[in-house]
Amino acid sequence: MVKVAFYPGCVAKGSCPELYTSSIKVCEKLGIELAELEDVGCTGAGVLSSEISDPINARTLAKAEQMGVPLMTICSTCTGVIALANVRLQDPEYRDKINREFLAEDGLEYKGTTEVKHLLWVLVEDVGLDVLTAASTQPLEGVKISPFYGCYLRRPDEAIKDGNRKSYIEKVTQAIGGTNVDISGKGKCCGFPSLTINEENALAMTAKHTSEARDKGADAMVVPCPLCHLELDGQQSRAEAQEKQDIDMPILHLSQLVGMALGFTPSEMEVQRHFVSTKNVEEKVKSLAVTAS
Amino acid sequence: MQVTMKFVRTKNEDPDQRDSFVVDVDPETSVFEAMSKVREEQDGSLAFRGTCNTGFCGDCTCQANGKRVVPCLVKVKDSVKEDAIEIKLIRNVAPVKDVLYDVDQFMWKKYKYFRPWLETNGTAPAVKDEDLEPVRLAMRCTVCGLCDEGCTVIDVDKEFLGPMALTKGLYRTTKDPRDQDTKQRFIEAGEKKGLWDCVHCWEASEHCPWGINPTHLIMDLRDDSIALGVKSGKGNPMAARHYNAFADSVKKSGWLNERMLASKTYGLPPYGLSLSGMMSQMPIALKAIRKGKASLRPHKSRPGARQIAKIFAKVEQSHKNKKA
Ligand code: SF4
Repeated sequence: MVKVAFYPGCVAKGSCPELYTSSIKVCEKLGIELAELEDVGCTGAGVLSSEISDPINARTLAKAEQMGVPLMTICSTCTGVIALANVRLQDPEYRDKINREFLAEDGLEYKGTTEVKHLLWVLVEDVGLDVLTAASTQPLEGVKISPFYGCYLRRPDEAIKDGNRKSYIEKVTQAIGGTNVDISGKGKCCGFPSLTINEENALAMTAKHTSEARDKGADAMVVPCPLCHLELDGQQSRAEAQEKQDIDMPILHLSQLVGMALGFTPSEMEVQRHFVSTKNVEEKVKSLAVTAS
Repeated sequence: MQVTMKFVRTKNEDPDQRDSFVVDVDPETSVFEAMSKVREEQDGSLAFRGTCNTGFCGDCTCQANGKRVVPCLVKVKDSVKEDAIEIKLIRNVAPVKDVLYDVDQFMWKKYKYFRPWLETNGTAPAVKDEDLEPVRLAMRCTVCGLCDEGCTVIDVDKEFLGPMALTKGLYRTTKDPRDQDTKQRFIEAGEKKGLWDCVHCWEASEHCPWGINPTHLIMDLRDDSIALGVKSGKGNPMAARHYNAFADSVKKSGWLNERMLASKTYGLPPYGLSLSGMMSQMPIALKAIRKGKASLRPHKSRPGARQIAKIFAKVEQSHKNKKA
């Protein structure tokens, strides 16, 4: 049993409720004990100035530190932003300043010891691929999955810490019986950060990645970040219109994909909330369930 | 050792051109030297740039056996595969001939956009040595272009000003205590295709051969711009609206109110009546409601919202003091 301070992030509690529900179910099944942090703020998502987000994140890290367990997120952007803040907060002088100016008056202090982890890393490092395979009552045989990391689970190195983490999605899909479909843009930006700044660029990126996955024969793409999901799923029809092509590429959250291998039905994983129909994947999973029984 | 140097020769119309040359080189020499040896001894028409062979001029950037490199910084023995090295143009550039590309379009025009000189009104104060540290970092940029070559945004938009120009143009000047036009520089940088078009994917930091970490510098520039109250240029108001809406939401409730963020950014009711905003966003909003992705319930504050509001208040006060 691994225990973590659970930081779901704003989007899993907002416009990707299926990510929250599916993550809770998956963690419960795999024995990841979630102590959800309530009294914490948004990481800033790389939007807010780090002058503001560093103190907010120091506060979150301090709360996890008091619990004596790693902080786990289900969003790559949250992971990256809070991990980078954590890197800066390893400098004792900077940490002291943040503690003194922002945390002390509420009786908090961050000592710099909290480890930040994404669910993906917990699955591989704490649960273990063998356990994952053993728990997969419905291995996703024949399901072709295209991993899409996006930015924050690939870079920058000081936040990722261990280079092996850059190929964990492939390891997980393999462990649960799926087949990986590699695309050249798997570590590139999905487009989301540009959506309100330069929409044309954002949609061009979305079209590029999703159409590459389709051309290579993937049944679905899997993402560890709800912002990638909002972009690749939520904006896919607009990307199709802009780039004048049909794409129709289902996008799954990592938790949903793992959950289906663990025996949850697609609707228990709430895939019906997606914009792009996941029918083809659902049918494949259902036929697997029939064969299994 | 004998190495076959293969060149992917773009826009070369000579029907008799050769593209494969065997040269005898020391494995310790640089790939750039091997390229030069071909040009000097076998085919003087071969076109590529580069002079210093020490990484300093930043001109010879190309792909060697599929890796994007400054070839004078790479030894033949580290690049060669099956006794051959294939040289070709980098991505994201307009070819001129062979491995030559249009540097003006790729980088110089963008660099010039940032007025890469100091505006001092002739009254520059004396500067402390340590204050020049960030300036020196940006000065180490050799304009090799590898950051722009790997840039996720330039990949889809050739006009994005890009990490090189933001580093050597904007960071170099705005971090210099002698420069007296910093705020105006940020206003200009905040126009479309500029500072706020970066998607902070951290690619640029990964590609720089000198460890200048351009993405880190871009994020630092944004912090500096925000501290001066500049969240976009005049012709790019949506970037500022997005920042302000995001910040307001976290300030008020501790976390993101996505509905408010979208409405304020796109100018939708109750915050505005933008027709184009409604046309583009309404179908998405309705679908999100139908699919159960957008909740119609009121946005609740986080338990720690008051503490988070205090953080905002303190930082905003320090920005005010700085400006004063
Ligand atoms: S910042 Fe680095 S990668 Fe970019 S042009 Fe300068 S030296 Fe090259």
